Amino acid sequence: MKTVLQLIRKDYKLFWSDRRAVSMTFIIPIALIIIWGAVFGNINKGGTATKLHLAFLNNSTSPIGKKIERVLDSSKTFVLIKSYKDENGKRIPFDTSSIQNFVRKGSVSAALVIPVDALSDTAFGLKLKFYYDPKNDLEMQMIDGMLQKTIMTEIPDIFMQGMKNQAVKFLGSDSGKAFNNEIAKTVGKYFKIDPKWITNPPIDSLMSMSGGSDSARNSFFQNILQLDKVQLVGQDIANPWATRSVGGWAMMFLLFTLTATSSALFEEKKSGVVLRLLASPISRVQILWSKYLYNMSLGFIQLLILFSAGALLYQIDIFSNFINLVLIIIAAATACTAFGMLLSSISRTAGQANGYGMFLILAMSSIGGAWFPTSFMPDFIQTISKFTIVYWSMDGILQVLWRSAGIIDILLNIGILIGIAALITSISIWQFKKGHVF
Amino acid sequence: MIKINSITKRYPTITALDNISLTINKQEFFGLLGPNGAGKTTLMNLLVGYLNPDQGEIHIAGEKVTQDGLHTRKNIGLVPQSLALYDDLSAQDNLDIFGSFYHIEKNLLKERIKEKLESVQLYERRKDKVKTFSGGMKRRLNLVASMLHDPPILLCDEPTVGIDPQSRNAIFDYLLMLNEKGKTIVYTTHYMEEAERLCKRIAIIDFGKIIAEGTIDELIEKLPYDETILITKNQITVSKIDVLKQFGSIIDEDDHFQLKPNAGFQLSQFFSSLEKHTISYKFVELHKPTLESYFLHLTGRRLRD
Repeated sequence: MKTVLQLIRKDYKLFWSDRRAVSMTFIIPIALIIIWGAVFGNINKGGTATKLHLAFLNNSTSPIGKKIERVLDSSKTFVLIKSYKDENGKRIPFDTSSIQNFVRKGSVSAALVIPVDALSDTAFGLKLKFYYDPKNDLEMQMIDGMLQKTIMTEIPDIFMQGMKNQAVKFLGSDSGKAFNNEIAKTVGKYFKIDPKWITNPPIDSLMSMSGGSDSARNSFFQNILQLDKVQLVGQDIANPWATRSVGGWAMMFLLFTLTATSSALFEEKKSGVVLRLLASPISRVQILWSKYLYNMSLGFIQLLILFSAGALLYQIDIFSNFINLVLIIIAAATACTAFGMLLSSISRTAGQANGYGMFLILAMSSIGGAWFPTSFMPDFIQTISKFTIVYWSMDGILQVLWRSAGIIDILLNIGILIGIAALITSISIWQFKKGHVF
Repeated sequence: MIKINSITKRYPTITALDNISLTINKQEFFGLLGPNGAGKTTLMNLLVGYLNPDQGEIHIAGEKVTQDGLHTRKNIGLVPQSLALYDDLSAQDNLDIFGSFYHIEKNLLKERIKEKLESVQLYERRKDKVKTFSGGMKRRLNLVASMLHDPPILLCDEPTVGIDPQSRNAIFDYLLMLNEKGKTIVYTTHYMEEAERLCKRIAIIDFGKIIAEGTIDELIEKLPYDETILITKNQITVSKIDVLKQFGSIIDEDDHFQLKPNAGFQLSQFFSSLEKHTISYKFVELHKPTLESYFLHLTGRRLRD
């Protein structure tokens, strides 16, 4: 037993002496748990900790329209955006056309418009217009669901009361009540709902809908609230899921590849090849440039092949906006290469570079939006995500593939990615000059 | 050909080279002999421009060597201590890659690759991956990979580490042949046998300082005795060690004592004393002093300590 204990002691001693192993075992998982905890915790709460942004326009003068606006304004779930900034930075209230453009540009995923005829005298239900861009399917579904829930929770009492009032107004008090009772019996009979529940609906339990079959209730409420959904972007995309996802996954694998190839520099140093190269008429700058261009071209080819595979297997349309796709891919590959070079410059061994790389890739992919829409994440993570290569690359790729964005639309993404690359490369060169690798 | 002037190189915790000056002549086979950690590799790295010195200057063929001065490197071939080869590529591919950095005309490079591979008996294996080679084969390839641009100066940093005697001899013969053809060779080693066999002139380096320089004969001449005496360790010699100590300093080694005679040592007196104390002659061997003896004399340590 003593020998076994000595062997265990030896293993702990070896483990403790390997800083990378210690950090990979404890520090990095804790850091990732904190990051993922913030991301997944929020999603599991239904994304309610972060408010969902919804463009809103009320063209109706009806009390119900005002009530919906008031309810959504005070909702903990939504932030209503009712205006946009023009070229001069002046805020202009939405109209029917500008609110649709706002969605088309990708500023928000959805817009709710209460039209002038939202509640007509002849119609039974409430008609609303819902414009959406399913670039983030999960986010759009959540907005849709939360919106219906909010309206249905808050609105029915007014709605029922409004209908009863209409009957009393036209038929007189006694006849009106009799009419309402008869209506309730008729509706109850055909929708299999307790008539008393219709004449005096308990608001709190409306959403739980006790009594009657599910399909009948759904049918009833679908008639009450008619959301006329109009998809503004991506209608012609053959495979929306693949088109939306391909960017995130491609970026993650690109980062893995470039981390691995950058750490190859350490293998060359270890084997003495770097010394042999520097003993020939080759400068350190030339070696760095060759590594940079090699990694960048490899990254570009990898992305191109991944997208081509996506086109072949999942009918992702990469050819209709190919030049802009190439431009954003080059920018993404440049930034990712810079990231790989940074890892080489701050690490002392290939193992260290791979360890740091693993941590940064998982962290950047999760908070950069490769796994989940950033809009579900807490505000501070959304802010941090804008400092990641993954965020700007994915956003650019999505704009090109999903929105058929032109060069002007992706200029910001390209500029930021090149800017990040320049900044990271400067840090790398500074670190390389300190001489860990050479 | 190579002029090293007052070179000092410091690392954060150690001074690797301390005010070293050397001149190495054209077509000379020059040895740099010293134990591990003496500063030999650092000096090689300075010669090739991989490192910049903290003080002093190095000139090769009249040109100052710096990290940024790429031109001087065309005159130099470095055989690194480690096997600086791509294991997953073939021998031919390795040479093709390393030769391409010198902008050698394609056909000429092809010719030279063939010639070099043949000269180290690797031509038949040219298409095999380096990882399938034995240690000796890798060493030979490592050597010729540094010579594709036909440099007048070859810097060999312990090029025979960890190989079998046969491969070592092959490398020695090859280097001697190159030297005969006019190449200047600087050879670092901690094996005095290698230095004795190959080098016309040597410098002994220890703790970053040159402690001796000259031809092997010149250095051995400086010893205060003409021979070293090895005495077999046994009951008799151990019990009579005090008798032996009268004639010089005794170094206790594994299975024998080594006697370094005092100044004025007389061999006849020594043997008379052995006879008088009934120590058989068969326990005694006379040896000509070697570089090892000289190093021991200078530092009190053996080269491989």
